[in-house]
Amino acid sequence: MSDDLPEQFDLVVIGTGFTESCIAAAASRVGKSVLHLDSNEYYGDVWSSFSMDALCARFDQKPEPHSTLRNCSYTWHTRDTETGEQLWNRDSVLAKSRRFSLDLCPRILYAAGELVQLLIKSNICRYAEFRAVDHVCMRHNGEIVSVPCSRSDVFNTKTLTMVEKRLLMKFLTACNDYGEDKCNEDSLEFRGRTFQEYLQAQRVTEKISSCVMQAIAMCDPTTSFEEGMQRTQRFLGSLGRYGNTPFLFPMYGCGELPQCFCRLCAVYGGIYCLKRAVDDIALDSNSNEFLLSSAGKTLRAKNVVSAPGYPPVSKGIELKAHISRGLFISSSPLGNEELNKGGGGVNLLRLVDAEGSREAILIQLAHYTGACPEGLYIFHLTTPAVSENPAADLDVFTSQLFDHSDAQIIFSSYFTIAAQCNTSVAAEHIHYTDAPTYELDYDAAIANARHIFGKLLADADFLPRAPDPEEIVVDGEDPSALNEHSLPEDLRAQLQDMQKATQEMDIQN
Amino acid sequence: MEDYKFLFKIVLVGNAGVGKTCLVRRFTQGLFPPGQGATIGVDFMIKTVEVEGEKIKLQIWDTAGQERFRSITQSYYRSAHALILVYDISCQPTFDCLPDWLREIQEYANSKVLKILVGNKTDRDDREIPTQIGEEFAKQHDMYFLETSAKEAENVERLFYEIAAELIGQARSKDGSGSAAAAAAQRQSEGSSIGLGSLSAKAAQSNCCGGLASGGGSNSSQAD
Repeated sequence: MSDDLPEQFDLVVIGTGFTESCIAAAASRVGKSVLHLDSNEYYGDVWSSFSMDALCARFDQKPEPHSTLRNCSYTWHTRDTETGEQLWNRDSVLAKSRRFSLDLCPRILYAAGELVQLLIKSNICRYAEFRAVDHVCMRHNGEIVSVPCSRSDVFNTKTLTMVEKRLLMKFLTACNDYGEDKCNEDSLEFRGRTFQEYLQAQRVTEKISSCVMQAIAMCDPTTSFEEGMQRTQRFLGSLGRYGNTPFLFPMYGCGELPQCFCRLCAVYGGIYCLKRAVDDIALDSNSNEFLLSSAGKTLRAKNVVSAPGYPPVSKGIELKAHISRGLFISSSPLGNEELNKGGGGVNLLRLVDAEGSREAILIQLAHYTGACPEGLYIFHLTTPAVSENPAADLDVFTSQLFDHSDAQIIFSSYFTIAAQCNTSVAAEHIHYTDAPTYELDYDAAIANARHIFGKLLADADFLPRAPDPEEIVVDGEDPSALNEHSLPEDLRAQLQDMQKATQEMDIQN
Repeated sequence: MEDYKFLFKIVLVGNAGVGKTCLVRRFTQGLFPPGQGATIGVDFMIKTVEVEGEKIKLQIWDTAGQERFRSITQSYYRSAHALILVYDISCQPTFDCLPDWLREIQEYANSKVLKILVGNKTDRDDREIPTQIGEEFAKQHDMYFLETSAKEAENVERLFYEIAAELIGQARSKDGSGSAAAAAAQRQSEGSSIGLGSLSAKAAQSNCCGGLASGGGSNSSQAD
């Protein structure tokens, strides 16, 4: 293919991970010329999803010193079964390789969270589809149980007694009202104390306390009262929008999300080159531009944004283990039948260790997400790294999950995602994005993208709404197709209405 | 609610310069942009057609230039009901690249997607690929075949109307298991995927969401 790449760009972005893709899209959207490169042959960097073959191949790759993905290992498990014939084994799983989307960095989206709002606001949402999470779970007395989310859930659940139901509703209503009613003396006295202390003072039962601490507010004993309230409100504010829980998961895996931003960048003229590395980079002190040499060509750029882990820009950046990951494929889901109706649920479970000091997030995916074939389940386990040994870091959680369960694990893998020791450095004027941090949604990544975008283009709007095709092409089209979504103001108003409706429905009456 | 019975997503692929954008614009706008008109900001185009008395909304997606360096996002292929693979009949290299495109399609697109091979630029008098060669290639790879000229508006309407008719047939077929369109229709009825646009989709009962924005609903093949 002829290389008719232009030589001059406003911005060159190296790495196609989530944060880099956000920045590339935002810059392109406001008219900057953008070149987006990745030395990998796939989109997404460490935020990517892989087919089964490709994941194993990626794990087999000799680790590069600067790579943010490391300590990779995987094992195929063969089991002796009484029934003899096994439906799923290494060969049958590999035969369906391309039916898998295996995430390195799986996330769950709050339905009213930062990312969902950004996708709607920017109209990037048209590139993606989502699946509502079926159950938010917690471990209680060694069992995995569903945490009631909506008002009707609370009343239908068999997990709680009648008294507990009332207590939980009362508690959640109080949390929801907190902040609006500043003179609530009941809550004032808890400022500066922990959320757990507040919870105990409400005289809730141990079970309700677990529900709130483990699943709804996702707190540990040291979480402050204000933080706990904020998290609870975040959970409640995302209820009732799509599905039964406040959470969404992207169809075909989280690796789709960076690509959605890349698509928008391309639609606004951004140029994409995968399998293209930057060999050298220097600052031309005369023109104050970067000179990048890539595939024998010299490119000039006013600004450079790079993911950590991409040479040569990453020289001198120190990386340390940040997230420990486990990825398992099983032929049976976790938890009881109720949690896995109709072929399996997309379930979220937050785990805590016995001391309550460490936590992990488990995301169970079934074939409804388009991330695995029917009959198989993916378990994504994520915890903040404490060492360079991801299996050891996760041991306390895997034993909670698998020791007394009948999960039929066929494939297990562990790996580490590393991050820079010092975040958001701009070495020699190159802007480095942060590696994925430990979080449920994408808030930190979006904040990072906004921050860097703000440094590049201080006065520009971050991902304003892209018009719908109906607004550009009206030919042969009923003009009434210019519907209520034509204006960003309308969208915003709609969002607010939704939020209001949500609150009324789920909490107030 | 908008007035159409089905919504189908059609995506175009093929080398840069074969006339993908021209085909889309000719069909949706009746224009033939001279030269390489800038398509900045245009993502997909929409045209509502009537086939067998049904209103069908076609959402036609272009590559946004990502084909230039073979860097099309996988997500581009997701949930497409039909895929148009285009080459230039006056340019041998664009035909020689077809196997590469097929590999990519096989990897990322739904295996049941309707595939159409299109030899564009029949108005050119420096033809390099005889019709028969294109036809044979299409047959070998289980694709429909058509030669078009976006410039002369030849076979362009026919291309999209035939796709629409074929997709309706698929969506209606009761057994349905055989096609992407039917599968999508079914998925929609099961309410298994959400688009964020359909915020109105307060489908609290169903456990799946479509696109986040309304009208987007790229997965939906049926609307009311």
